[in-house]
Amino acid sequence: MASIAVPAPRVRSRWARALERYYGLSVSVVSVLCFLLLWEVAAERGWINARFSSQPSQIWRAAIHVGLTDDFAYHCWVSFAAFALGFAMALAVSVPLGLYLGTSRRGRLFIEPPLMALYTAPRLALLPILIVWLGIGLASKVAVVFLGAVFPILVNTMAGVRSADNRLVTAARAFGAGKLDIFVKVLVPGSLPAILMGVRLGVGRGVLSVVVGEMFVSEAGVGYQIMTYGQAMQFNNLLVYAFTISLFGYALTVGVRMLEDRIRSWRPAS
Amino acid sequence: MGQIEIRGLSIDYRKPKSDETFTAVENVSLSIEKGSFVTIVGSSGCGKSTLLMAIAGLIPRARGSIQVDGKEVSKPGPDRAMVFQDASLLPWRSVHANVRFGLELQRWTRDDIDERAMRYVRMVGLGAFADYHPHQLSGGMRQRVNIARALAVDPDVLLMDEPFGALDAQTREVMGDELLRIWERDKKTAIFVTHAIDEAIFLGDRVVVMGRNPGHIRDVVDIDLPRPRTAVMLDSPAFVAYRKRLREYIAADMQSLQMVEDVV
Ligand SMILES: Nc1ncnc2c1ncn2[C@@H]1O[C@H](COP(=O)(O)OP(=O)(O)O)[C@@H](O)[C@H]1O
Ligand SMILES: [Mg+2]
Repeated sequence: MASIAVPAPRVRSRWARALERYYGLSVSVVSVLCFLLLWEVAAERGWINARFSSQPSQIWRAAIHVGLTDDFAYHCWVSFAAFALGFAMALAVSVPLGLYLGTSRRGRLFIEPPLMALYTAPRLALLPILIVWLGIGLASKVAVVFLGAVFPILVNTMAGVRSADNRLVTAARAFGAGKLDIFVKVLVPGSLPAILMGVRLGVGRGVLSVVVGEMFVSEAGVGYQIMTYGQAMQFNNLLVYAFTISLFGYALTVGVRMLEDRIRSWRPAS
Repeated sequence: MGQIEIRGLSIDYRKPKSDETFTAVENVSLSIEKGSFVTIVGSSGCGKSTLLMAIAGLIPRARGSIQVDGKEVSKPGPDRAMVFQDASLLPWRSVHANVRFGLELQRWTRDDIDERAMRYVRMVGLGAFADYHPHQLSGGMRQRVNIARALAVDPDVLLMDEPFGALDAQTREVMGDELLRIWERDKKTAIFVTHAIDEAIFLGDRVVVMGRNPGHIRDVVDIDLPRPRTAVMLDSPAFVAYRKRLREYIAADMQSLQMVEDVV
């Protein structure tokens, strides 16, 4: 028995891991700093027109101003609430529906055509209809976020279930697994990575949707402020809000990715 | 427990994209005494896996009957457990949790499945690797897990479909020794499919030789070698004679395949 060589598992020290993590982070930070510096200098020297393209130092000043006087927290909260509600609803619908459609051929045949039609339809074109149905305000925004996030999660969940390894299903059946056992113990855990990938894509879509939604169907929120400052040509203020949204979307995406990495730890590194 | 009677068994598959059927196994009759170790050899495509899957209750049969201890097989049951070739472990479960899998599915009581799974992990020599995931193991270790998973549910019949097929020659030998060591403890009825003739002789009390077009039994050879089997026997005159006899069958089968291909 001892004659079988066993490869040691990849165990890296805490320090090596920290170094690796901070390596990526520091390169990113340097990259951002270089970009900001170049932008600042270019505007200062008049290579670009600071009035239309703004300037980091001015945005910083605007940020302080916005933060102190602009109900910044309120607008963020309005947007966040719409996003969180819409996204939660999207999750609640897309994951169970995707799991079901992944296992049921009849369900797929029935639901797929209208689903794909909705998926490929430009959702912004539906906005006027949503406004008529739901009015201007929270409900419409939630609907827009829902429509933006629901499809990537649904499609990926479905794909995850359908790509399940048949050999695992056969093995489970050989031990007497019923349909529910196979679903719970093989299909769901097997499609978790695909589901999370869908969630990550859905986050991006959802964040985008809330901003776009607010530009048209809102009287408050980050998207609304972006629209307002855009029309007033106050680009510094506009960019403060735009960056806030980017940061939020980025942080959430990174969060989901970390979850994905944890879930995938059972997989060979690819 | 573990007496198997197969009578007049035929298995059909549906041909892809048509209503026609294709007979993969035809008129197979075989009785296997409880506690014996039977190996099945034959060139690839002669229906070895099909026969094994039918005994496992995983595929329906067209004609004939399969009985285990007098009970007609209609679906998988706790009296039989299967060891597959490879990649049938759940990649997201640890070694220990993979061995637990069969116990969970067969509804063993919660309290003792953890301990029982661990006992079988140790039995196949993987005690130190209980928390590893399949991708962190060598092919041989993965097959140990597969065997542990099957034995843990305490079946009367152990079905193995080329369990060492993906392993290199040396590991294969070690695994064969190991399997016999484990089998000798409680002598469960074992059916072991392989295409390696030496392996079939070394492991089996009897070797069932299958031929193809359609899959059928050509001969059943009793292996009269003492147990425990040891590597020295591989060169004994008796072993060499068995090897020669079985090789001729397989060679004939390959030739008939050649002819079919020539005609086509
Ligand atoms: N699911 C299936 N559908 C249709 N034909 C199959 C299926 N599985 C196996 N066969 C056919 O049945 C024959 C026997 O296959 P198999 O039992 O896998 O042979 P072996 O295990 O001896 O290599 C082969 O000709 C193979 O093509
Ligand atoms: Mg086979």
